[in-house]
Amino acid sequence: MIGAQLTGNLMQGLILGGIYGMATMGLSLIFGVLKVVNVGHGAFIMIGAFITLWIFTAFGLAPVIAIPVALIVGMAIGFVFFYLVMRRLIKAPELASLLATFAIGILLEEIAKLIFGSEFRGYNWAVGKIILPITVFPMSKIYAFIGSIAIALLLYIWFKKTRAGTAVRSVVEDSEGARVCGVNVGWVYALSFAIGIGLTVTSGVLLTMFIPVGINPYMGGGYTLKAFVIAVLGGLTSPYGAFFGGLIFGLIENGSYTLFALIPGVEAFAMTRFLSFLILLLILLIKPTGLLGAK
Amino acid sequence: MKGKIVKYYPLIPVYIAYLILFLIGINVSGMWQLVAMLAFYCAIGQAFNIFLGMTGYVDFGYVAFMGVGTYGMALSISHLHQVQWLGMGIIIIGLLLALVMASLLSIAVGAVALRLRGAYFAIATIGVNEGFRFLIEGAKIWGGSEGIIFSGQLTQTFGRETASLLSTLWADIFLFFIACIAAFITIYYMRGKIGYALTALREDEDAAKVMGINVTKYKIIAFITSASLAGLVGASAWALKLTYVFPPQVFEIHYTVECIIIVLLGGAGTLLGPVVGGLVYGLTKYWLTVIVPGFQLLIFAPIIIVIIVAFPEGIVGVLKRRFKGTTFKKFII
Repeated sequence: MIGAQLTGNLMQGLILGGIYGMATMGLSLIFGVLKVVNVGHGAFIMIGAFITLWIFTAFGLAPVIAIPVALIVGMAIGFVFFYLVMRRLIKAPELASLLATFAIGILLEEIAKLIFGSEFRGYNWAVGKIILPITVFPMSKIYAFIGSIAIALLLYIWFKKTRAGTAVRSVVEDSEGARVCGVNVGWVYALSFAIGIGLTVTSGVLLTMFIPVGINPYMGGGYTLKAFVIAVLGGLTSPYGAFFGGLIFGLIENGSYTLFALIPGVEAFAMTRFLSFLILLLILLIKPTGLLGAK
Repeated sequence: MKGKIVKYYPLIPVYIAYLILFLIGINVSGMWQLVAMLAFYCAIGQAFNIFLGMTGYVDFGYVAFMGVGTYGMALSISHLHQVQWLGMGIIIIGLLLALVMASLLSIAVGAVALRLRGAYFAIATIGVNEGFRFLIEGAKIWGGSEGIIFSGQLTQTFGRETASLLSTLWADIFLFFIACIAAFITIYYMRGKIGYALTALREDEDAAKVMGINVTKYKIIAFITSASLAGLVGASAWALKLTYVFPPQVFEIHYTVECIIIVLLGGAGTLLGPVVGGLVYGLTKYWLTVIVPGFQLLIFAPIIIVIIVAFPEGIVGVLKRRFKGTTFKKFII
């Protein structure tokens, strides 16, 4: 009985994990290139969620349509904040960039509150479901999972096969060396920040396809913290590491929730979160290059 | 002997500022609440500055120390209120407990997280803060997610009048006291061996290590000092004042960010900085709450961004440059 329940939850966890992973790729890309931790990460996810809600309720279009819209809006926001703020903070101490990204997050949350109000919203995109003996998958979750894998693959190809992708990788490796070899490092910074934000906003679309309720200006905070754990699992600087970190995190989150729920006298939800931060600390201490990273 | 006293001259403007604030608070009716809020921001800014300003390490989980301090006081009052002969002693035990619990947590965190640098340290400390909160909620330690409510015990022990005086007056006066101690410790560290060691560390940690400075030791000292003071602030500003503890509130990351803003606004690593930062931050926040209630953050966030970009050295940093070479120089550090 518990075995079937665990297997079912792990399957759900794997799918959610794929979306978590995609939602963290932007954070890792920005840290890898700019060495800036985007503490306002969750606010960008929130923007993606509201874009989906808006496209679905105002135009009656499928949330999938929101993916390109979110990517374009996200990249535009990314360029704006890069040239207005982040460009000046790349060489500054961590203090400045941490506070600036946090403030950007607050600004976006407050703008969203001004426009949409602070009540929780949701939508219902019923496109059938797959019923297995142990669990049920709504098709929207499956589409979200496929979407996140496709985006991760596209990013991989872009990194490995295009000139711009190679330039970004060279800056991650050694920004001074890249500059010497004629890479326009300033442009790589701007492009990476914009793509990172674009990916994060897009992941907001996929996350609402998985969880279409609870859309609220302040929904991002929890995702920011999850993204930190996932990014650390993946070694912080690598977007694909983050994707696999997300898969692992999804499995751990759902698996441990099922197991903690069996223990009397504990709150399973909170213990799951505790476990994730314990993992974060252990990885940072033992293997800061991430689970998959090389020494 | 004279040299020793001159060392402490910069404390004069700080203490004068606190005295004026205190006098305004007790003499002008209706001002005490605002003054108490400003004292809170100054105290926590100064406490945070001892670590952040001196080492340049960003502790994003700083609020955890205020949180455990709050628990220290709450545990003392809720468990010891039946012991009649202790009287006011339970408040003192509460403060001591807050001090001990905050420093124990900081030793544990410091031993783990201070091995990491830069962004990795910031992420690790966020992890500690959130992890600790969820451990309390998940394992139902100290009342779990329901927290501890002890206003009943407080009135039962001290009577209604004394209990309300404790929350509305003495808790705030104690904040002034903590702020004064924090200022003294700051200057004591700055002008001592530890200050020079930490300056070397902040500029270039590896070089400092090579020069034979025991950087780990000084980092840990600054970390524990800063955390213990935070514990005391939590015990008085949150536990005594609100008479309850509620985990999501005492581990709320926004408070850490407020501390960072105060230190950065005033000038990191300066003595006067957190005081100026605390006053400016507190007054601006209060003023925005009055004129644009509900939208203060919408206006505040861009202000913060502009300050970070335009004045990264903070108000006191700018003043220091302006008054270089004048008599005021002695007082502005």
